[in-house]
Amino acid sequence: MEHTQQRVVHANVVFGNKSENALISKAKSGDKQAFRTLYDEHVGRVYALCYRLTGEKGMAEDASQEVFIQLWKKLGNFDGQSQFSTWLHSVTANITISYMRKQKGWMQRMFNLENSGINEMPAEGNSTDVDLEALIIRLPERARMVFVLHALEGYRHEDIANMLNMAVGSSKAQFFRAKQLLKDFMGVDDE
Amino acid sequence: MSNFDDKLAQHVSELPKEKQPERDLWRGIELGIASAQDNPANDGASSPTVTSKHWIAIAASVCLVTVLWFAAPFAFKADESRSDGYALIDAMSMQQQQQVNSLLASYESTTALTEDWQEQLKELDDAADVIKAALKDDPDNSALIKMLHHVYQQQIALIERVHAPKWQQI
Repeated sequence: MEHTQQRVVHANVVFGNKSENALISKAKSGDKQAFRTLYDEHVGRVYALCYRLTGEKGMAEDASQEVFIQLWKKLGNFDGQSQFSTWLHSVTANITISYMRKQKGWMQRMFNLENSGINEMPAEGNSTDVDLEALIIRLPERARMVFVLHALEGYRHEDIANMLNMAVGSSKAQFFRAKQLLKDFMGVDDE
Repeated sequence: MSNFDDKLAQHVSELPKEKQPERDLWRGIELGIASAQDNPANDGASSPTVTSKHWIAIAASVCLVTVLWFAAPFAFKADESRSDGYALIDAMSMQQQQQVNSLLASYESTTALTEDWQEQLKELDDAADVIKAALKDDPDNSALIKMLHHVYQQQIALIERVHAPKWQQI
């Protein structure tokens, strides 16, 4: 019984990959309907990453749009060597980071703002029902980005340092800072 | 690995992989794709979509029209008391325009260091217009006046920066 179930799951994965590859080929040759289907399948994951990186809904929506527009232009670069979703995630992270840089420039030019503060909210206490996403959004920008890229997306500190234009040590320090803050937010005492 | 690290790893693994945006993003993407097809040379530039900035500008315009619509019957009375306050904004804007014009005239023969500075200047102009529109309704709002002053300063700084001689750029 279990063996049959495994075979069904495997068949679904293979079939899924084949149909996704077909969609990608069609989209590469300019089929907008195929691209729309790819969008429908992946927008949830793309938006989730954009939201966790930017920490703000409006910016995450704009960044997601930018990701899919750039994806349409650069789909030809996808060579099929890796999973499409893995490739799309790395494209999303890079485009969102560059989008945030541009936006920050605009905001700073306008109002001279610095987004480095910690959003004020009461600590969660020792509850087991922790809304980690809400706590991640409360983190200061650099700590949040490093935490999302390392803990959620699995990037190495060397890669993050490259992506965010910082030293490897700074990436590690920001990750440590993020963990300490999350610990505080959750109301966990130091062991 | 500490207890907290285990706990955190557990929470991370429980995070939902997907999250749906609140507004429909496809329309903006479609526009961006169409524009990319019309201007294939513009590949590296960010794409023109209906972004939050645009929504804010649109929302601000709609609010302004609504406010003016409802305030119209009282406009004559209000104008009498507000005319003095807004006269200051008018004077500020006029002075700014003169300063910008004379700066541009003095840099007429100097080549700008970037190509998109006029676009940036226009962005600042648009921002000033939105603030001025808000000030029409509340001419004594000091935060708005400060904001307008700041935008005007940014305009002057931008013009000076892009026209500064190369030896001043490090």
